[in-house]
Amino acid sequence: MTAVIQQRPVRHSIGHWVTRARQSPGRIAIWLVLAIVSVGLMYPFYFMVMTSFKSETQYELGRGFSLASWTELFSSVPVAREIANSLGICAVSISCILVISTTAGFALAKTEFRGRRFTMLAIIGAMMIPVQSMIIAEYVNFSKIHIINTYAGAIAVYVAIGTPFATFLMSTYFRGIPEELIDAGRCDGLTYTGCFWRIAVPLAKPAFATVVVLQFIPIWNDLLIGLLFLQEPNVRTFTVGLGVLASSRVVNVPSLMAGSLLSTVPAAVVYVVFQRFLVRGLTLGAAR
Amino acid sequence: MLILPAICVVTALLLVPIGQAVYYSMANWNGITSQWVGPSTYLTEFRNPLFWRVLENNALLLIAVPVTMLCGVFLAALLHEHVFGWKVFRAAIIIPTAVSWVVLGLIGIQAFAQHGLVNRLLGGVGLAALERNWLGSPTDALAAVGVTFVYSLVGVNTLIFVTGMATIDPAIYEAGKLDGTSWLQSYVHLTLPMLRRYLVFTFVITTISAFSALFSLIYTMTGGGPNYGTTTIEFFIYQQAFGTGAFGVGALLGVVLFVILVSVSAVQVYLMRRSE
Repeated sequence: MTAVIQQRPVRHSIGHWVTRARQSPGRIAIWLVLAIVSVGLMYPFYFMVMTSFKSETQYELGRGFSLASWTELFSSVPVAREIANSLGICAVSISCILVISTTAGFALAKTEFRGRRFTMLAIIGAMMIPVQSMIIAEYVNFSKIHIINTYAGAIAVYVAIGTPFATFLMSTYFRGIPEELIDAGRCDGLTYTGCFWRIAVPLAKPAFATVVVLQFIPIWNDLLIGLLFLQEPNVRTFTVGLGVLASSRVVNVPSLMAGSLLSTVPAAVVYVVFQRFLVRGLTLGAAR
Repeated sequence: MLILPAICVVTALLLVPIGQAVYYSMANWNGITSQWVGPSTYLTEFRNPLFWRVLENNALLLIAVPVTMLCGVFLAALLHEHVFGWKVFRAAIIIPTAVSWVVLGLIGIQAFAQHGLVNRLLGGVGLAALERNWLGSPTDALAAVGVTFVYSLVGVNTLIFVTGMATIDPAIYEAGKLDGTSWLQSYVHLTLPMLRRYLVFTFVITTISAFSALFSLIYTMTGGGPNYGTTTIEFFIYQQAFGTGAFGVGALLGVVLFVILVSVSAVQVYLMRRSE
C-alpha cells in the first residue's frame, strides 16, 4: 500500500500570497484558469437556482422572480414523503453495509479460517458484477417472494451492491492495524470477538466515514434500482420521483429544477464535508 | 462466524443472480416461464444489427474516457501549485460529481436545446455554424451525452490525481530544477510516470462508469434515442427486459456486459503488476 501523505500547508497571510503572485506571473495565470473552470463547473448550480425561482413564462422571458415552481413541485409530488423514504432507505442500507463489512473485513484481515483466500477472491469478484447484469434475475426472484415495492426489497439490493467494496475497504483498513494490538488484547484475555469490539471497532471510525460517504451518494442518487424495486409512489425515493416526473413530461422546467436542486443539496453537502474520507476511499482502490 | 453475513448477502443476492443470468441467457425467458434453447441464443443475438449498433455507441462513448483523464491531469497540475484559494477551487471541481445523473440529464436537456447554453456559447465565440438541436440527431445526442459524462467525472479524476501528486517527494523536482528542466518537461518526465498507478486506476473506473453508470442519464436526457442513437448496452438491457419483456435477451446482454467489465479489470491487474 502506498502511503497517502496528508496535505497540510501552512496558513499564509494575504501579504504572503501577494508577494508570491508578484514573483511569478505564471501563478496568476493558473489562478485565472482555475477560477474560470470553477465558475464553468458551478454554472449548472446557478442555472438550477435561478430557474427554480421563475415561473414558466418568466423562464422563457429570462427574467423575473416567482415561487410558483416550488408550489407546483410540492403539489404534484409528495416531496416530504419521498425525501423521508430516501433518507430512511439510505440510513438502513448504510447501517447494514457497515455491520456486514466491518465484521467480514475484520475476519478477513485478522483471523485465520478455512477458505479465507477463496472468500476474499469471491468478494473481489463480486465487486466487478455490474448491477445491470444481475438485476433482471434479482427482480424476478424478488417478485416471486413478493418483496417488490417494499423498502426491504430495495434495501436488500442496495446492501448487496454496496457490501463487496465496503468489505474490501474495511479489510484493507484492518490489515493496517498492527498485529501486536490484537495480540495484546488476546493476552488480556479477550476473545476474538472481544478484540473486535474493544480494539478494532473504535480504531475503524475513519473507515466508517469513508464507507458512509461512498455509499450515501450512489444510493441517494440511484434511479435504476428504485425504478424497478420501488414502483409505487408511496415507497419511492426522491430521485426516482424526479426521474418519473421528468419522463412524464407534464411538469414545467422550473419545477423540475426546483426538484433537482432539492435532490442535489444533500449529496453536495456530504461530498464537501466528507471530502477527506472520499479521497481515502478512492485512493485505496489505486493503491491496492 | 463474523464473515457469515457477508457470505450470505454476496452469495444470495449477487452470485446466484449472476449464475441465473448465465443460465437464462441461453433460454427463451419471459420472467415467468422459460424454455431452454442453448448457447445458440448468443449466435442469434450476435447476428442482430441492433446489438452491434448499441456496442458501437458504447465504443464511441469511450472517446470521453481519455478526454476526462486529460482534463483531470491538467486541473490536478494546476491545483497542485497551491495558488491562493486552491481549496475552494478543489471543492468547486469535485462538487459536480455529487450531482445525480438524473439531475444532470434534466440540465442537459436545457443546455443542449436549440436556445440552450451550448448553442449560445458557440454563437458567442463565433461558431454559430455549429449551432443545432443537439438532442435531435443520433450522433449529436451521443456527443451531448459524452460531454455530460466528462462534466460529471472530471472531478473524481482530478481528486485522484491531486492525491497521487501529493505522494510524490518534492526533492525529485529540486534535482530537476538544478538540471534546468522546464515546468512542462518535469511534468511529463517526472510527474506523469510517478502517477502511473493512479492513471491506470482512473482509466479503469472511468471506463467502467462509461459502460455501467449512465443508465439514469440516458433515461432522463434522451430515453436512448433518437433512433437508438444513445442506447448503450446497459440501457439496452433495461429496454429489452422491462420494455419488451425479453428477459432472456436482457440476461444475455447482461452477461456480455459482465464479460466486458471483467476484461477491463483484467487489463488493470495486468498493468498494475507490470508497473511493480
